[in-house]
Amino acid sequence: MTTKAIWTTRREAMALLSGAVAGVALGGDARAQAAPKRGGILRVSAFTNPSSLDPATGGAGSDHAFLFTMYDTLTEWDFDTLKPRPGLAESWSFTDPTTFVLNIRPGVTFHDGTPLDAEAVKFNFERNKTDPKSNIKADLATMASVAVTGPMQVTLKLNTPDAAMPGILSDRAGMMVSPAAVKASAAGNLTRTPVGAGAYAFVSWADGERIVVKRNEKYWKANRPYPDGIEFAIIPELTTGVRSVTAGQNDLIYQLPPRQKVVVDRSNTLKVVNGPTLYVFQIFLNWAKPPFDDIRIRKAINFGIDREAFVKASLAGLAEPAYMNLPKSHWAYDKSVAGLYSYDPDKARKLLAEAGFKEGTTIEIGSYPDQDSVQRQEILIEQLRKVGIGLRFINAPVAEAAGAFFGAEKRGSGLLAAWTGRPDPSLTYALMFTKDAYFNGGRAPVPPELEAAIKESRASEDIEIRRKAFATVQRLVMDNAFVVPLAFQYELVAMNKKVQGYRPNLLGKPKYDDVWLES
Amino acid sequence: MARRSPAKVIGSRLLQALPVILLATFMVFSLLKLVPGDIAVTLAGDNATDARITEIRRVYGLDRPFLVQYGAWLGNAVQGDLSQSLLSGEKVATSISRAFPNTLLIVAIALLLALATGIPMGIVAAIKPNGWVDKIVSMIASLGVAIPGFWLAMILVAEISLKLNWLPATGAKSFGVSPLEAIRHALLPGIAIAAYGMAEVARQLRGSLLEVLSSQYVRTLHAKGLSMTRILWQHGLKNVSVNLFTIISLLVNRMLAATVVIEAVFAIPGLGSLIVRGAIQRDFPIVQGVVFTMVIVVITVNLIADLLCAAVDPRIEQ
Repeated sequence: MTTKAIWTTRREAMALLSGAVAGVALGGDARAQAAPKRGGILRVSAFTNPSSLDPATGGAGSDHAFLFTMYDTLTEWDFDTLKPRPGLAESWSFTDPTTFVLNIRPGVTFHDGTPLDAEAVKFNFERNKTDPKSNIKADLATMASVAVTGPMQVTLKLNTPDAAMPGILSDRAGMMVSPAAVKASAAGNLTRTPVGAGAYAFVSWADGERIVVKRNEKYWKANRPYPDGIEFAIIPELTTGVRSVTAGQNDLIYQLPPRQKVVVDRSNTLKVVNGPTLYVFQIFLNWAKPPFDDIRIRKAINFGIDREAFVKASLAGLAEPAYMNLPKSHWAYDKSVAGLYSYDPDKARKLLAEAGFKEGTTIEIGSYPDQDSVQRQEILIEQLRKVGIGLRFINAPVAEAAGAFFGAEKRGSGLLAAWTGRPDPSLTYALMFTKDAYFNGGRAPVPPELEAAIKESRASEDIEIRRKAFATVQRLVMDNAFVVPLAFQYELVAMNKKVQGYRPNLLGKPKYDDVWLES
Repeated sequence: MARRSPAKVIGSRLLQALPVILLATFMVFSLLKLVPGDIAVTLAGDNATDARITEIRRVYGLDRPFLVQYGAWLGNAVQGDLSQSLLSGEKVATSISRAFPNTLLIVAIALLLALATGIPMGIVAAIKPNGWVDKIVSMIASLGVAIPGFWLAMILVAEISLKLNWLPATGAKSFGVSPLEAIRHALLPGIAIAAYGMAEVARQLRGSLLEVLSSQYVRTLHAKGLSMTRILWQHGLKNVSVNLFTIISLLVNRMLAATVVIEAVFAIPGLGSLIVRGAIQRDFPIVQGVVFTMVIVVITVNLIADLLCAAVDPRIEQ
């Protein structure tokens, strides 16, 4: 992790021309060695109201920024590679491929004082799997039953081998809520009254305005958390959010678009931390209908895009060119797949000619009308015009555009959007590249060997075997050119100099584990 | 012609308001259902399958016929229950009662500023039409109308908050907890909205005053030897006050609408931000609740303006 911090800072220093800011980066390093202090309130500008503060009933990926502070997960992940590591479960094992045993950390209590034991964990699994309002039933699809096999041990029976389980339990499905609180709640859920076992306990939530959490004095991790509490001010307009940090009303703002970096750099009171994430801009393709039912055209569009240039022009260079759905630093990344589609306009033209694609034919793609999306569209239009593909973008708000492409309407041949990534890569692939998956817009079949390889990736818990299985999955997806990955967005977090110890992570959703405030 | 009692006027106005409320909420409800995009997709979360989305529609009652859903909402609203946000589960009445004071404070400050600057400008401009004072006032008024509020807002933040650090750049504070802090937070957004109001008041007032001052009875007053000051204060302003009340009522309504954009610039959790969030997420109980509130506010403002007009000008009663 230390290497990551230094790497980030160095990269920063190289990327920035301003000597003053480089000085700040070095200063930040020196300070990072100072002993963390307790106390203070971390004030965060959050860009959206959460959909729910109950991990089971919520739906938005942006909720995690709040949920992670209040709920600890059974497993956690390594910040740099997303490899699962112990959390509320201090260890786990597969006694056979369909029996998954979790040993719960002793001595942990929920914010309401009730113990987090095997019974509580079992309650959570069953609730997540059967509650009608649970949005994470699919995460636990492979779980057939759960049993308490010791005061601090639960055993899951799986209906099929599922090595993705440890990864899945680092996300919503692993966030443990207090059974007592759920039973006591009139609504039967904790949407507005969250009680977990996380570093911070819930204080208040005023919709669209403010969420306040305070330190959990009985938190199981030694000396954590450092701040007395966190106050999230909900500011949907990112430019306004950045201003609130510049003006000192807030301390930190996360998930900034790259174009904001220029603004932040201009201020000498702020510092920026960034690192790669799983969040990938991509064109989803509908391969059930022309033109993308022809593999040659799908390949041509992949060859016809200069991703390096795309990153420079549309993401201020703050992104990693994407040639598949996993970034370089991910544990399951396979280097050989990355070489499949290096920019080759001639090859693209040749493939189009073979497919009988008439030069300049227009393909309709859905997308969003915001400034950043339109900029990306303009660059793609220009790049693909050069190989003879005309693009026409039909823009609509996110919910509408996504609904029209993935839902019943099947509007357009593609969708320029993004994939937010999942804790275990097998979810990413299963959700997009199996026949009936919602994010397979055309619900068109995929080669049987791909479905088999995705299954295979969940069959063994051995990380080397899984790595190999994912290499096959990635290669098959990209050989078939089912998607046009463009770029992995960097996590861009701006904060004032008081904030210490913030580390970016590969999931791109902020966690404040080691954050402390200089007084 | 018998004078109608104010109570009767209010009563008949409230009766007229009912169909307006019905129509407005029904239209907004229809619009939300007609535009593409579906809250069930949001509710179902990131991993949703088609089956899950269908299930969500059933669980939340979104699969019922359109009129049934509207009827259910209306039935609750009539009983004083504005129901709750589909997403976060917060009572809509709670959201509104928290957001409304923030918006009200901005509009009140904007209105005060607009009147405090616009009225004197209108008067000095009307005293000597086409004089240099009038020309300057006209220029300022044209600027006020032409400058977009959100642009002015950003300039104000950049200069007054970020450079000089005099006023906060974002957010709102509760007036009940600390009135001074609340006003400090609402001042910049208030100014941003007031610019347009000032221009409108100054121009309209100048126009109406000029008309009054050029009328025959004013000439008679001049001939009687009355001073300009007395003519202006005793006769001129009294006669334009009806126009002024009308302008104010229109202005309040316009300013309420303007808060939608201004609140986004200043991150103020008011009615404007609330309706934007509701509309974007297709969280229709929120949108319905805010529209309901807005309609009532507009009707109340108009009613007060009418009553005031009737009080100063007996001809208006009918």
